[in-house]
Amino acid sequence: MMKAFAVAKWEYLEKIKSKAFLISLFLTPTIMVAVSVLPTLLATRADTESKVIGVIDQSGELVQPLSKAIEEKYKLPNGQPNYILRTIAAGSSGDLAVGKVQADSLVITDVIEGYIVIGKSIATDTLVEYRSQNIGDFKVQERFTSTIRDIVVDKKLRSRGFDPTIVKDLTAQIEMKTIKLSKTGKEEESGFEQVFLSAYGFMMMMFFLVVTSGQLLVRSMLEEKSNRVVEVLMSSCSANDLMAGKIMGLSLLGLTQMAFWVVIGVAISIKFAVTLISLPSALLMLAYFILGYLLYAAIFVAAGSPVSTEQEAQQMNGYLMIILVVPIIFAMSVIQNPNSTLAKVLSFIPLLTPSMMAIRIPIQMPGTLEIVGSLAMVAVSALAAIWIAGKIFRTTILMYGKRPNLRDLLTLIRAH
Amino acid sequence: MLTVSHLRKQYSTVLAVDDVSLAVNRGAILGLLGPNGAGKTTTIRMILNIIQPDAGSITFDGKPFEEQTRNLIGYLPEERGLYRKNKLLNAILYFASLKGIERAEAKRRAYDWLKRFDLLTYYERKLEELSKGNQQKVQFIISILHDPQLVILDEPFSGLDPLNQILLKDILMELKQRGKAIIFSTHQMDQAEKLCDAICLINKGRVVLEGGITEVKSRYGKNTVHLEYEGDGNFLPTHPAVKTAHIYENFAELILNSHSKPHEVLRDLSQRLDIRKFETLQPSLNAIFLDLVGGEKKLTEAMEPVK
Repeated sequence: MMKAFAVAKWEYLEKIKSKAFLISLFLTPTIMVAVSVLPTLLATRADTESKVIGVIDQSGELVQPLSKAIEEKYKLPNGQPNYILRTIAAGSSGDLAVGKVQADSLVITDVIEGYIVIGKSIATDTLVEYRSQNIGDFKVQERFTSTIRDIVVDKKLRSRGFDPTIVKDLTAQIEMKTIKLSKTGKEEESGFEQVFLSAYGFMMMMFFLVVTSGQLLVRSMLEEKSNRVVEVLMSSCSANDLMAGKIMGLSLLGLTQMAFWVVIGVAISIKFAVTLISLPSALLMLAYFILGYLLYAAIFVAAGSPVSTEQEAQQMNGYLMIILVVPIIFAMSVIQNPNSTLAKVLSFIPLLTPSMMAIRIPIQMPGTLEIVGSLAMVAVSALAAIWIAGKIFRTTILMYGKRPNLRDLLTLIRAH
Repeated sequence: MLTVSHLRKQYSTVLAVDDVSLAVNRGAILGLLGPNGAGKTTTIRMILNIIQPDAGSITFDGKPFEEQTRNLIGYLPEERGLYRKNKLLNAILYFASLKGIERAEAKRRAYDWLKRFDLLTYYERKLEELSKGNQQKVQFIISILHDPQLVILDEPFSGLDPLNQILLKDILMELKQRGKAIIFSTHQMDQAEKLCDAICLINKGRVVLEGGITEVKSRYGKNTVHLEYEGDGNFLPTHPAVKTAHIYENFAELILNSHSKPHEVLRDLSQRLDIRKFETLQPSLNAIFLDLVGGEKKLTEAMEPVK
């Protein structure tokens, strides 16, 4: 057993110094933040220059109120109007096609950002067309449709003798404030976004953790194999010690990575004064993480030991990725209904348990029986996986060239 | 020290090792010889307990393999078994820790060995930055740092320049004098001949020849002729008195048929070639190897006594 610790120490210390690990340590959270937050930030950033938007108003009723409303409502940071409306005639004979040709050329020569085509009758035409080189600017679309709708509704109400202010009062929007109630009855003001982000965040953390360290493991086993280091290792310690050491080292590596991220997460949550998760929930999730991690590590060892070329390693990583992506597919549904039968069933599939519980615990704590049951389930399957991995490892770690197929592996597991 | 008896290992359809027996004593070097794919590595792996034999037994000082036995064995694999990306000293200390050596002690020994092999300046370097020969030296240090009782070396001289070959040979002799049992696996017959006390020649998984070097050679008797000549020696292999011939440029090593008489052969050859030197002697290990393995001769025929 001392030798297993020596292996674990080596695996841990040498990998923690590796560039790949350091990159994943810092890059992963950066990428996660970049992918989830940056696009929204960029998209909602205010414009810096006024945009000229053309209008072909076939009804003749909308241009005036629209340009007034838009210019009043949306201003640039420097106080200038965000949008300047420019009327484009629908051709001398009122021909729409001629007007469009003229307006299209204005768009193409960048004189105007884009233009809106409004139908002949505001009472019946509900379709408004926006033509531009850039239709990805959802602010323009959202702002113009809502403003046009307000004006049209206003006009329709007036034409039927209603007072728009009364109607507005009658159809007032209802807003909902969510309060998360814990088992002890404590209230926490917790928005949907917050719960969603923490649940999703915990699951993604697990995902990246397993992916990065798993790939490190498969790669290092490949190196040991192609350099025949494994023969020297096997002449010094038993296959079981070697494998146990590798799993321990890898798990320790994962915990280090997680601890690092958690510290960052805590720092952020203190700074923004939000509680993402309570301490008991965090400890419970840690238990799932460790057990789940052992399970995954055993699978990576079993999958990595028969690999003897870089290409096979890539392929193997691809397969393992599929297992890891599965929880992400179900995540949405589980977040919405953390106590649904689907969520409960998925929580008892060992490979999914840690991710599913990572989602469910921050949203709503599952029942004690379910927690104990699923913990036992993961623990047992982790042990079984380690046992099976041991059998595969012992034989295939010395195999070169020919990769065993599934039937070979099954015979291996049954043998001895 | 080590006794291997009736070892057998079958890989799906290939019988890699078939009834192999051998023994090494303390203070002796056994040459484990044989062509590529003969079953040497498989035998070694079974001794190291990396793979399990299908049949047969392996004992160390009469006791079967146990976990502690690993610490008594040092192994140098044929292909370099080193981490490429790691620093030299770290790698050495890691392997030492796997053999149960205390870190401080391992450091002291590593320092001594690195100094002796003139590698001290490299100890902070990554292994991949070292030359092939230097990597081989590091590999050797790893195999003996824990002062093993049984040292198994698979082609230890490969990649070493003549100077380092001498250094390695000296160290092997020291180990031998200090009572270590050494298995030396090679295809280099001249090296085996110089270093080994006994040999065990394996071909196609079976032992085809074994025994002390001098004994093995005398079994072949003085029916070998070293011939230096000028002229066309291409007829030599088909000469009626010659059993096998290894022809080099103006030199030939002939193994004569048991009934041939050297002086008659000399008389005959001197009429067809300009003979410069004619010497009868015991066959070299190389000739025996080629005779047994190359010609696919049966063991009994090869060991036919000379009249």
